[in-house]
Amino acid sequence: MNGAHDLGGMHGFGPIEREAREPVFHQEWERRCFAITLAMGAYGAWNLDMTRFARETMPPGEYLTTSYYEHWLHGLQRQLIEHGFVTLEEIEERVDALRREMGHAQT
Amino acid sequence: MPKLEADRVLHVLLKGSSARPGVPAVPRFAPGDRVRTLNIHPYGHTRLPRYARGKLGVVYWDHGVFVFPDTHAHREGAKPQHCYSVRFTAEELWGPDGSPNSMVYINLWDDHLEPA
Amino acid sequence: MAEHDHGSHLTEVELRVRALESLLVEKDLVDPKALDILIDTYEHKIGPRNGAQVVARAWTDPEYRQRLLDDATAAIAEFGFTGRQGEHMVVVENSPMVHNVVVCTLCSCYPWTVLGLPPVWYKSAPYRSRVVIDPRGVLEEFGLALPEEVEIRVWDSTAELRYLVLPRRPADTDGWSESDLARLVTRDSMIGVGLALTPDELTRQEAAS
Repeated sequence: MNGAHDLGGMHGFGPIEREAREPVFHQEWERRCFAITLAMGAYGAWNLDMTRFARETMPPGEYLTTSYYEHWLHGLQRQLIEHGFVTLEEIEERVDALRREMGHAQT
Repeated sequence: MPKLEADRVLHVLLKGSSARPGVPAVPRFAPGDRVRTLNIHPYGHTRLPRYARGKLGVVYWDHGVFVFPDTHAHREGAKPQHCYSVRFTAEELWGPDGSPNSMVYINLWDDHLEPA
Repeated sequence: MAEHDHGSHLTEVELRVRALESLLVEKDLVDPKALDILIDTYEHKIGPRNGAQVVARAWTDPEYRQRLLDDATAAIAEFGFTGRQGEHMVVVENSPMVHNVVVCTLCSCYPWTVLGLPPVWYKSAPYRSRVVIDPRGVLEEFGLALPEEVEIRVWDSTAELRYLVLPRRPADTDGWSESDLARLVTRDSMIGVGLALTPDELTRQEAAS
């Protein structure tokens, strides 16, 4: 699809920012998102091409303004729901419950 | 398939997942052939980037038979076919102001190409 | 207002990841210990030191270098560096007249088996958008100014083939052991946005750290 992921030749993104001695993961949630994605892929319910497409479906404005593992999270949630591993309702219910339990979340 | 258990993780990672379907296919092109990429804009998944559509290139390398992602992503079949490295000059892709003495090599499949 | 503030306010993203993990564990779909091993493997066990060993051997052993160019997957497998995101390896060799650089404009494809997980810059819009259209400018931004006579080859990883650049062996390294040579091989040089370190650069770098 002609999505925002198809970046070759686009202008305007500015300098390539590098972090000295960059860690493999910057946040705990990135670690978990990474690992869950790989673990759920092991079921063979979907293939890697489907996974890439799931990430590509992010609306362009969101894709360009979110981080790499947020793209993974979008794709993961979409695939989990599409393949019947969880429902959207279950996820939102759990998010609400955790939000109440852990204090107010920042958006 | 059962859930991925801790004691299987390393085995699964080291084994990986081949994208070769293990069936032969007749290549449509050979290294040295001039090709033009198709001007397609599918709503689904494709590995033909927008910047390289409708462009003239030369087949540089035949990497053999692979699964075709454009269909595989939508359960439309593995459609085994040859995957090539196709070489494009900067001028062909970006016009006269393209980076001097620069080439872009893109992995493309038979279904992305037509003879030029 | 939550009275039991644990000292951290979770973002929406953190909440969502926790929600997914807790649901999947409850449904017995993921094994938390498996998740920990997946994380540990890529955080601590697999990284560019793998690729550096491959490069150092290619520099010292001409027959290995040829095997690497002919069938990179098999040659790299001689080290045991196999599997995920390295199933179909290709090595592209730098020479006096050709410099190679690798990108995945469409996502983040990268040879995990020899380089580990990619750095943020490789997966981000500035690099992915610019290196195919202005490779010389991008390389200069990385501190590498190549004369125009050197042909630049940008490899866009649009298939499952994963590319490893074989950088040129620096001068004044005759007689060096493979393990010493490997210390000159940076991740950037195996992506193609830099060259291998010179002996002087290595000395300076190790003195600084």
